[in-house]
Amino acid sequence: MHRAVRIVSWLYALAVYAFIFLPVVVLVLFSLQSTSFPIPPFTGPSLRWYEAVLSDTRLTSALVNSLLVASISSLAAVTLGFLSAWGFARFVLPGSALLRGLITLPLTVSYLIIGMGLLVLFNWAGVPKSLLAAGIGHVVINLPLCFAIIYSQMGDHQVNIERAARDLGAPEWKVLLLITVPVMAPAIFAGFFLSMTFSWDEFVISFLLTRFETTLPVEIWNLLRSGLNPKTNAVGSLVFAVSIVLVVLFELTLLRRKPA
Amino acid sequence: MTSNIRNPLSTLKCNLAAACAAAALLIAASGAQAADLNALIWCDHSDPALLQPFEQANNVKVNVKEFEGTGAGLAIVEQSQPGDWDVMVIDSIDVPRGVEKGLFEPLPEDKLPFGDLFPQVKMDKSTIVDGKRYGITEKFGYNTIGFNKTKVDPADMQSLASLTSDKYKGKVAIYDYYLPVIGMAALAIGKKTADLTEADLPALKEELLKMKANAKLVGEVTASQTALATGEVDVLVGGGEWVTAGLAKENPALDFSIPKEGAVLWSQSLAMFKDSKNKDMALKFIQYILSPEGQARLATSSCYWGMPSNTKAALTDDQKKVLRFDEQPGFLSRAQAYPAPNADLDKKMQDMWTEMLQAK
Amino acid sequence: MNPVANNGPGRGAGRALPWALVTPALGWTLAFFVLPFIAMGLSSLTAHEGGGFALSNYSQFFTNPSYLQAMVNSLQVTAIVTLVSVLLAYPFAWILAEQVPERWQRLALMLAVLPFWTSYVVRSYSWLLVLAQNGVINRVLTGSGLISEPLQLANTRLATVTGFVHFFVMLLTLTIFANLKQLSPSYRKAAADLGAGPVRTFLHVVLPLTLPGIMVGAFLTFVLCIGDYITPQILGGNNELLMPQLVMMQIGRRGDFPLASALSIILMAVVTVAYLACARWLKIERA
Repeated sequence: MHRAVRIVSWLYALAVYAFIFLPVVVLVLFSLQSTSFPIPPFTGPSLRWYEAVLSDTRLTSALVNSLLVASISSLAAVTLGFLSAWGFARFVLPGSALLRGLITLPLTVSYLIIGMGLLVLFNWAGVPKSLLAAGIGHVVINLPLCFAIIYSQMGDHQVNIERAARDLGAPEWKVLLLITVPVMAPAIFAGFFLSMTFSWDEFVISFLLTRFETTLPVEIWNLLRSGLNPKTNAVGSLVFAVSIVLVVLFELTLLRRKPA
Repeated sequence: MTSNIRNPLSTLKCNLAAACAAAALLIAASGAQAADLNALIWCDHSDPALLQPFEQANNVKVNVKEFEGTGAGLAIVEQSQPGDWDVMVIDSIDVPRGVEKGLFEPLPEDKLPFGDLFPQVKMDKSTIVDGKRYGITEKFGYNTIGFNKTKVDPADMQSLASLTSDKYKGKVAIYDYYLPVIGMAALAIGKKTADLTEADLPALKEELLKMKANAKLVGEVTASQTALATGEVDVLVGGGEWVTAGLAKENPALDFSIPKEGAVLWSQSLAMFKDSKNKDMALKFIQYILSPEGQARLATSSCYWGMPSNTKAALTDDQKKVLRFDEQPGFLSRAQAYPAPNADLDKKMQDMWTEMLQAK
Repeated sequence: MNPVANNGPGRGAGRALPWALVTPALGWTLAFFVLPFIAMGLSSLTAHEGGGFALSNYSQFFTNPSYLQAMVNSLQVTAIVTLVSVLLAYPFAWILAEQVPERWQRLALMLAVLPFWTSYVVRSYSWLLVLAQNGVINRVLTGSGLISEPLQLANTRLATVTGFVHFFVMLLTLTIFANLKQLSPSYRKAAADLGAGPVRTFLHVVLPLTLPGIMVGAFLTFVLCIGDYITPQILGGNNELLMPQLVMMQIGRRGDFPLASALSIILMAVVTVAYLACARWLKIERA
């Protein structure tokens, strides 16, 4: 009986892994295609499409834009999220539950709708489309996430240390910087990292709110629309590789920090 | 203790400084476009092979924004500040819509090669408004039947009726742009594209639904190209040289026909904005695009190929053959214009298209 | 435990400090989330031509069958995707949490969500390559003689659903796995001590205790799925339209912001109804 369960489990897990990896394998394999269509038969390996990607200034500058927007908007989101989480956790505020609800509300709304709203608003206000506009949108989607993560981790442990510090006469800003931030570092880091991920991969808000300078997902979409070729595979594989490196780094740093 | 204080603080300061610097960079980057040339274009103009020679020769950066359909293009202009845009690509028949809104600047005929254009595609009826010329045709082609000649009977491709016949059920893709395909539906039921009115919509819808019933997919430029090139489908409604020519090297079996009912002529023009802050450069850009070299690059752009409007375009013999350059006079005599509905009919046509997409 | 109760008003802190802490986040949310929403609401009540007050954007949705059909399609696709993803992910997460040895679990989980890190636009595109007429699956099936004619997989609702399920299986595996690991082993032991077999333990103890986690994941799936434009646009072949495609069509083809706004608001209303329906399980904050 146990053996049967085990075998069925393994088969099932393998099937799911195969399903999950099928498109990735196909993506990477046909990025090495030497002819112009990324469909079987496989004609590679060739690196010509990687060269094409790296010499395409629109793609490389979109990559830089994406990194800029992701890091700055995540920094803003995590800062706002942290300060408000601390405020709500530390002090009794009138209507606290309602206000916290307001901050987390964007989590329940589709990106498309958030992007549409900002597009309409910016149109009326005469704010031109730009990376900055897209970045503002990314803070909107990531702030609630950072807030929720950090607020949920603000527990008795950290409160007690803070109180001890205050009892010893430390002013609030010192408590914040020397106690709260270091104690909350894993949650802050997790919030920042998740925000980076979402911003890095976000399409529709950037699509609606940028004009000439745009982010990588939008540029990939443009690439896709301008013809089917293995260049899309190559850029996808490159993004995948970069992401994997980041994830591994994240895992390593977080694992090092965890025991503390 | 002091060092303890300094560490996080200075880290924070560093972070803040870096953030400010980066934010300033962002703002600067988004504001630094005034000196560049801002072009509202179709995807064929975003090919670096087309833009880079111009950028290098004139030491200017061409910023491009792609759009599809005149309605969307004009909407983008309306949401921008005056002076944001310098040049625009627009359907030749829609030039008057831009002129009506007071957007365009008349073009200096003496500085552009009008004498070299195919006479049929000058489209004076729409590019000249009140005696002034506002648009110059740069590229044209046909929305007709694109097909894989090894998979279909080429004789069938001489009639639009084949598109709705059972013989090609499930082997057809429809190009996802409502105007030309509605134009083809009009040809199929014997109407002139220029005379379409609201009263024709029921018959057009019936024809569209018959096409949809036969179709496997309805795709944008790339999706429909890909479907034809990879064998997903054998026939593309609305296809033409813009699909088959660019892929001729990859798949020589692709071809197009002008059936006996005729075909829909598409024609794109360049126009200059009245509020452009950079009119000299804008004119230079238009001159470049209309020059023999620019014409050849535009005609063979990576997004889609098309006939250059300039008869002197510097195309190779192979390219001319693929575009069927020498057969143009015959094609042009059988082609009809793009439908040009007013705003009200346009909306109704789009709703009809949506209905077609939703139909099984 | 509520941190507030533990804390009381900060000693030495002025009344200004707490507001100084929460105001930036609240202000941001008001300025860039609430205000845009109001703008969108106002926009949805103006006529595209002329700009006067009009209800026509809403009435169009309810009177035009092909618009309503988009909502029906969206709800159907989202429901199927949510259901299939949960059904696929739950056993998978359970296997990872229960059958895989402890020391390999982290790696197994990392592997399970690895493709998450390919770009989202590219993921749908990859499925197109897999499912195309001459794609990998059809080549393998025809090559091995299992089928004689290639199957139509791409450009169908099945393709859209497959693309979605792929993404959400990863997401749900993550949330359900976390949920299963949080279950104290003592529950299961207690159930076993009381004489419950593994099946009964699962049905009466494990499943009910992980239900809230499933609901959170399912809701997330619902929200992300119903608002997504890319996946159906790339994989569906325009053989039917979903709501986000209809919204983007109004912007892309005609620049009709009022109609696009109205359709977005209707879409959001539907999501809100779904939220209220499963609100009791959705405590994003800690209880």
